[in-house]
Amino acid sequence: MSTFYWERHPEGPFATLIAVAASYCSPDAYDGAYDDLVRRARSAEADDDEMRVFKAELRQALADPSRLPRGELSAAVEYDDGSDEKFLHRLWHDLYGDESVS
Amino acid sequence: MMFWEAGAAHPGLLVSDGFLRVARTEPAGGDTCGVRWVRDDVPDRDARSERHVLAAGDAGVARACAEPRSRAEYAADMRQRAVLSQEREAAAADAAVRRFDPRRAGLPEVSIADPAAYLDAHQAERPWLTAAGGCSPEVQRVFAALDQGGGHAHIRHEGWVTEEMSERRVAYLEDPAQIDPAKRSSGIDGVRTPEGPHRCRETTSRIGNPDAFAVAFVRGVEHPTVKAALDMAFTPGRIPRPVSLSIADLLGPDGHRHCTGWRLQPVGDSMAVAREHRAAWVDARAHGRHPDAPEPKAQPVGTFAGGTIVFAFGPTRARDGYEVVTMYPRPPRDERQGGSR
Repeated sequence: MSTFYWERHPEGPFATLIAVAASYCSPDAYDGAYDDLVRRARSAEADDDEMRVFKAELRQALADPSRLPRGELSAAVEYDDGSDEKFLHRLWHDLYGDESVS
Repeated sequence: MMFWEAGAAHPGLLVSDGFLRVARTEPAGGDTCGVRWVRDDVPDRDARSERHVLAAGDAGVARACAEPRSRAEYAADMRQRAVLSQEREAAAADAAVRRFDPRRAGLPEVSIADPAAYLDAHQAERPWLTAAGGCSPEVQRVFAALDQGGGHAHIRHEGWVTEEMSERRVAYLEDPAQIDPAKRSSGIDGVRTPEGPHRCRETTSRIGNPDAFAVAFVRGVEHPTVKAALDMAFTPGRIPRPVSLSIADLLGPDGHRHCTGWRLQPVGDSMAVAREHRAAWVDARAHGRHPDAPEPKAQPVGTFAGGTIVFAFGPTRARDGYEVVTMYPRPPRDERQGGSR
């Protein structure tokens, strides 16, 4: 019945990546959300466990996008980039700049 | 002769042709009084020759009760129960709207005496407020409170948005919140500051009745999951995850009938490609270029039965807490098939 992947699979693979991306990058996100995500990613507060998991899952997804649960990232975020891979690369670049993915 | 009939505890099983469908129900507690033997030896105006006999069940011992009523009496009783059920639902919805506390939803307080004055004063420049014009003061209060918050649910997902506006929003990214027609047709968002292109999911939807919209909102913000999100300690830059709740839980078993929507047509089998083409087409049109991408198309959503209502959150205008930035119905997953890529 639940719409969202992280509701159906709270402990599922990439649940944090998909939930955070949906919260800040989807058409439902509040005005200024993407800028807040960039600031949050770059501030690297020690107690921000969610962003630590998010970054680790983003790395894993970029290393092998086929490991993402089929269709879930696209359904949650509804990006206009054309594919999960293009969206994730844009996200990494915007959040972490030239930092190496691997 | 006796035959099985069902639905003593389930008026929804009574169908309009007066014939009670045979269906065995097992209430959660194991009580089978929802299924009972009904006499057919009482003369009955609409008696039928069909007899549906259910064999003795394999799910335990059914407690059969002798039913003294005729079929017509039984049907009349069921109709009466259905009416009472609807009246109870209406009373419960009314009570939910009456106890609405805007502050618990991160919204400014609006007294019951204020909403009509607010709607009258602002509806010229905020046309979505006209939807609540004929509603009760309690429902008007919900709209007045929402309109003074930072959310856009009542602007983009309520009945003031016509079917044509919904279709054009999902196909051409024309934002109902944008009241300047030239900017709307150029895909400029009506809410974002500073101005920017409008974004829309592959499905746009609305709750077409202002009373139902208000009930969905107030019941939603009372739900423990949404309440937990709204009550989260405010930390700048962090927001609660979106939440989905069953339409039936918020609006009753027929609540989906208040919901309509339009869906972008996939390109080939891909909705991701359809969204990419839509963005390119709208951008070209806004800048006076000939679009390379095909014109986007939309189709009506078949049904919202089994769907959810989504609540997404953001910081309050004062940036001291969280509020609902949008609320909208979403069709079930099989209705969105093809839309996940």
